[in-house]
Amino acid sequence: MSAKQASVHAKWIIGRVIGTKMTKTAKVRVTRLVLDPYLLKYYNRRKTYFAHDAQQQCTVGDVVLLKALAEPRSKHVKHELAQVVHKVGRGVDPLTGKRVAGAHFLEPLDELHAEDETLARKVQSLNITADASVSRYDGLNELP
Amino acid sequence: MPMKGSFPIRRTLQYLQKGDIIFKSRVKIMTVNYNTHGELSDGARKFVFFNIPQIQYKNPWVQIMMFKNMTPSPFLRFYLDDGEQVLVDVEGKDHTDIAKHIRTILGKSQTVLEGEAQAKMQASNPANFGPKKYCLRECICEVDGQLPCPGTTPLPKEMTGKYRARMKAEQE
Repeated sequence: MSAKQASVHAKWIIGRVIGTKMTKTAKVRVTRLVLDPYLLKYYNRRKTYFAHDAQQQCTVGDVVLLKALAEPRSKHVKHELAQVVHKVGRGVDPLTGKRVAGAHFLEPLDELHAEDETLARKVQSLNITADASVSRYDGLNELP
Repeated sequence: MPMKGSFPIRRTLQYLQKGDIIFKSRVKIMTVNYNTHGELSDGARKFVFFNIPQIQYKNPWVQIMMFKNMTPSPFLRFYLDDGEQVLVDVEGKDHTDIAKHIRTILGKSQTVLEGEAQAKMQASNPANFGPKKYCLRECICEVDGQLPCPGTTPLPKEMTGKYRARMKAEQE
């Protein structure tokens, strides 16, 4: 055994943060697909892991990637936070790098799309209504 | 009595064993991000519906996670052992194309699989006799048509070791 082996079987795991009440520790729920032996269908089986988070940068609902520590930090903490894959409320599309919220983009994709958005905003600001046009030709002014 | 559910063939052992995507040992986690509505995500949805059970059956130690409606474009992400991440865009692709693409980039090739099967066959040679853990049979008495085990039925007198030793000693 020349290289140091991790103390746990799972070297890399990905999960969702469910609790951050502990100092510098995140409670992460990891789901794995397990085959039901009779139905032969895969279901999610969940397991909670504790991960060391030095900067306390996780919020509840983040999707995080955990890396196994070389040796357990304490009785329950055997992993550390490697990377926040998806920050809750600040989702980023990995292909374009733009902020997203669900199925639509928050930022315009490129300059063409940005022009469309500003045009829409300008049309809204014109605020053309029927009353305004009638009052323009009121009074003594003659129509040309 | 027909099976229940939509496409219940997915829930048969034969279908699961037919999966041909076996990941390289470097792949640890597979993540699928897709949307529940929209035509662009259709291939990804079918991939999750049809191919994911096969992949998980053949790769029981890879963690597979599905995320829905997080980004507008569907993609797959693989996390390898040395921290490397592989991003695969599947927008607009068909589920068979996605499976083929994954097989070429991260799956074990046919030659590698055949080599492994050969090595396995060599390790378990049916001509060897030994403990049950390593070989098929422990003694020739287990084979039909051969002499039964002397533990259960005594051997004919001419075949016993002490008779033959006595005959040899008498000859000299």
